[in-house]
Amino acid sequence: MNFEYAGGILLGSLHAMVPITLTASGEVVGESAGLFNIGLEGIILISAMTGALGAEAGGPMAGLLVGLGTGFVIGLIFAAVCTYFKGVQLIAGVGINLFAAGLVAFWLIHLGVPGHHALAAEHQLANIATPFGDLSPMIFVAIALPVLIYLLLFRTKLGLKIRAVGENPQAADVAGIRIHLLRLLATAAGASLAGLAGAYLSIDWLGSVTKEISAGRGFIALATVVFSGLNPLLVLLGGFIFGFFDNLAVWVATMPAVQKIIPWQFIAMAPYAVTLLVVAGVIGRAKFPAAMGIPYQRE
Amino acid sequence: MRYPAGIDELTKTLIAGGIGFAVGAVIIRLYGYDPLAAYRALFNGAFGDLYSISESLANATPLILTALTFAIGFRGGMFNIGAEGQLYVGALAAVAVSYFHLPGAIGLALSMMIAVLAGALWSLPAALLKASRGVHEVISTIMLNWISQFLCFYLITEILVDPQRAEKTVSIIESNRLPLLVPGTSLSYGIFIAVFTAIIVYLVLWRTVIGFDVRATGYNPLAAAYAGIEEWKIIVFVFITGGLTAGLAGAVHVMGRPPVYAIYGGMPSIKGLGFEGLAVAMIGRNHPIGIIFAAVFFGGLLAGGRMMQMLASVPLELVRVVEGMVVLFLAIPELVKLFSWLRKLAPSLNFRAKRP
Amino acid sequence: MNPKGTPSQNNSEKLLEGKGLCKGFPGVWQHLILDHIDIDIQAGEIHTLLGENGAGKTVIANCLSGFYSLSEGQIYVRGRPVSLKSPADGIRHGIGMVHQELALVKPFTVAQNIALGLPGSDFSFPLPEVEAKVRELSETYRLSVDPLAKVEDLSAGEQQRAEIIKVLYHNPQILILDEPTSLISADAARLFEALENMARRGYGILFITHKIEEALEVGDRVTVLRLGKSTGTRPTAQTDKNELVKLMFGEHTPVHLERQAVKSDTIVLDVRNLKALAADREPALQGVSFSIRQGEILGFAGISGNGQSELAEVVTGMRKATGGQVFIGGKDFTNQTPRKIINAGVAHIPEKRRAMGVVEPMTTAENVVLKDLRVPPFSKGTFINKSYITGHTKEIVTRFGALVSDLWKTPARILSGGNIQRLILGRETWRIPQCLVAVYPAQGLDAKAIDHTWQLLMRLRESGTAVLLVSEDLDELMALSDRIAVMSKGRIVGLFAASEATRDKLGLMIATGGK
Repeated sequence: MNFEYAGGILLGSLHAMVPITLTASGEVVGESAGLFNIGLEGIILISAMTGALGAEAGGPMAGLLVGLGTGFVIGLIFAAVCTYFKGVQLIAGVGINLFAAGLVAFWLIHLGVPGHHALAAEHQLANIATPFGDLSPMIFVAIALPVLIYLLLFRTKLGLKIRAVGENPQAADVAGIRIHLLRLLATAAGASLAGLAGAYLSIDWLGSVTKEISAGRGFIALATVVFSGLNPLLVLLGGFIFGFFDNLAVWVATMPAVQKIIPWQFIAMAPYAVTLLVVAGVIGRAKFPAAMGIPYQRE
Repeated sequence: MRYPAGIDELTKTLIAGGIGFAVGAVIIRLYGYDPLAAYRALFNGAFGDLYSISESLANATPLILTALTFAIGFRGGMFNIGAEGQLYVGALAAVAVSYFHLPGAIGLALSMMIAVLAGALWSLPAALLKASRGVHEVISTIMLNWISQFLCFYLITEILVDPQRAEKTVSIIESNRLPLLVPGTSLSYGIFIAVFTAIIVYLVLWRTVIGFDVRATGYNPLAAAYAGIEEWKIIVFVFITGGLTAGLAGAVHVMGRPPVYAIYGGMPSIKGLGFEGLAVAMIGRNHPIGIIFAAVFFGGLLAGGRMMQMLASVPLELVRVVEGMVVLFLAIPELVKLFSWLRKLAPSLNFRAKRP
Repeated sequence: MNPKGTPSQNNSEKLLEGKGLCKGFPGVWQHLILDHIDIDIQAGEIHTLLGENGAGKTVIANCLSGFYSLSEGQIYVRGRPVSLKSPADGIRHGIGMVHQELALVKPFTVAQNIALGLPGSDFSFPLPEVEAKVRELSETYRLSVDPLAKVEDLSAGEQQRAEIIKVLYHNPQILILDEPTSLISADAARLFEALENMARRGYGILFITHKIEEALEVGDRVTVLRLGKSTGTRPTAQTDKNELVKLMFGEHTPVHLERQAVKSDTIVLDVRNLKALAADREPALQGVSFSIRQGEILGFAGISGNGQSELAEVVTGMRKATGGQVFIGGKDFTNQTPRKIINAGVAHIPEKRRAMGVVEPMTTAENVVLKDLRVPPFSKGTFINKSYITGHTKEIVTRFGALVSDLWKTPARILSGGNIQRLILGRETWRIPQCLVAVYPAQGLDAKAIDHTWQLLMRLRESGTAVLLVSEDLDELMALSDRIAVMSKGRIVGLFAASEATRDKLGLMIATGGK
């Protein structure tokens, strides 16, 4: 393997890392507050669509903002159902995924070519050229965000409040914190990052919208969150690892020689197996906020 | 006024269904189509003639089984969303048995048994992790789903691949296929297997001691422990039976789906059946009989979607939009109460956390 | 009006007053939890609120601090009527409450916990100031606690000090403490000293306890609550133990049901040096030993929270014993599964009847056979024998007088507490069990049902059942028990034969913890 290969793989991994890291960072915030959002997949999918349309209307930046906003709105709905209406988080999340899959496919057909909608180059985000290939500015965003979120969660009072709400809502209630409201906003804010990730997929990396564009990345993000134990800095690492394997698997699939030694499917499988081991307590200890997944009731 | 539990559940489904279709209608309108024409075509395409009904029932077949996976778990107080991974291995197990070219009835029976076993085995890690280390089954089953997917991708393209057509597995040999119930359609005897399984699950849950224990644990784990019910036994039982039905879903699908009777790379025909099963389970209120109806209804929507697309030009994916909305609202436990309360309070909706 | 943060210099100013306070909870319609209570706290005083469990002490404290809302009545802060809708309101009016179950986030440090409740920008990071002020408060009030320690690493006493400092941080003028010494005993003196210090500075302190000694030692005035009503307020200097016992427990002489002496010498339940932890990992049982013979009722008296619940749970297999042994019928059943213990003939009428004793969404018949289901003829092999169950349930329902609308359709949730208890009694006793663990068996029942239950227990006693009875109702204990054990802090501090037990003696022992 020579230098160019390595560089190419590195770049590919960084790009693959972006949606995962963004989504996972957002989910860390939401889970720290106590809500488990399995609907991330659906959010990424819809935002890819809306972001693309936004980009066509007002340019790539507009598209990214639209994606962000889409994620926020859907996150808000999900959180409202699960806090004020005491909905079951898992089921609400699955509902969102199904809804999203249907909506995006429906939308694509309506726009012309069923299953595919390409963005003209001028609507895409401009990349920085390097000797190994193009580097997207979003990569830097994806690296900065987990750090910012780490600072938010562990170095501000707001972060304390968020974590308190997920860990011991009764104590937070006594301290005067509005549990439902905080969970609502934390989840919505987290989901907006998933929205940004979706927009990145269509506007930047892949340059088109397809009905499978999310390709399970929402679930990968959930796995990354588990892997990270709700530490945003580990999300960065986890996102990179998942992105790396994702990219590597694709590469191996195109190289029959390597495929014979290690089939790409097993490389793709690796991060999930590792996460399973982490969760099983074999590697490290997965620790979740004590009140995650439980709707809060004062009495 | 108190209604018996059944009415409450049905009302909830109807309310959620109503909302779902309403949202669907809004979306159809937004895109410039006619909701009424669309829905008419939809229902016609679902149940309008023998062909439609057959297709609907064919669609329903695997959904009944994967819905049972989730429902059994739910009844036991657990979220088993591992049906996806379990059904993949079930389907491939059935294909694998085909290699042995076993004659008719034996081959058929063995295929199903091995598939069922494969599904159950795939559910075991989640069960054991939960029983021994309290690992949350949502996470473990999601991971297992992915591992299964990639494993099956490998099996499809490398091991079970059809030498003549590399994009699919070997087809199930003729003698191992489920005979068609209605020629010219996709409906096989699999539907009977599915319904039969649902009835068995019903009997187990409501007529046996273990079923009672499962339901009691799901309702109140503390009282169940007090009554002497051992939780780990319930966990293992629930996951294994869920794995059995999911494995069966995979098998019945591949053994009963003309024209190919095989799995393509990427598993497009079986992917998603697990999550749709979850939706069907919720719509069927996690009751085997309800699930049969919900699955038929849902299979009908999928079949009718094609008609809706042809006649009213509304893409059939709208069906999934409706489905998603319905599930979202069914997530709310007190939906009926909420609905009547909201109707009273229409203008000023008060969302503060209620203080005692 | 003094600005918030400056304690009043006028020593008889009423800082906090409640008039006609009432509270009822939805679902509990038998009696008001708080029944027209008048209370006031003056500047510079420590006012003790004394009463048994269930008297309403925590509820009234929660109302006064804003955590609960009042059904009726009015609260005044420094003479001005206020409406407290949340704990934040309470804090704003200068009322700080230290809850019995500490409201601390365990993985956080003390400083982080305090920072949580501070006003100001969400993006601030006030930890350094918080740490400094915590040390300062620690000094001033002699409540030493390390602001940088994680709550989960602290001892119970330290956690409590942290909670108090957390409340003091907001400069309240009124401090409410709910059973502060329930967790700490050795440090109690330090706490009292600190409280007296604060009182001298003009704070008004409401100190809730069930221990008479504390009330007399630390309070300036004491108000006694009984069953939601205030039975009187006295200056501590002008009252004594006996009067307080009478106010807490009432005056009438209880009845001791007639019976033949215990016939047998066979020991059914033998508990030796039993140790166990409570849900929060604190020791709950610290070496309990006793035995119960065939046909004998051993009553356990004491304020709940002193290990009685945990004792019942360990004996029935619902909780692990960390030391000691439990012998049933001569065989060692320590830490066996509930199933094995049930099979050994131990019946259990649980403390939490709705949460543990029945499966509320299940029907009457299903609940009646909850335990017996696995045994023929209730089931044949794996299949449930519905017809037999129906017959059996009908019989139980009739015999025990439970009012149910049907056997197989309506969930048990809608039944009244009394009817649920009747079903539980029927289920647990129809077989005349070898041993019965009955925890607060008559709580919340009407007079007729209580009588019925007592008669049932006596009949079981006649038939040879060994009964472990846990109750807070002295009348009940004295009526039924052959012997009475008083529990305090996980130990048996007194064991009487029924003939020796008087109301006053028991009341005093309970209220003083055997000292």
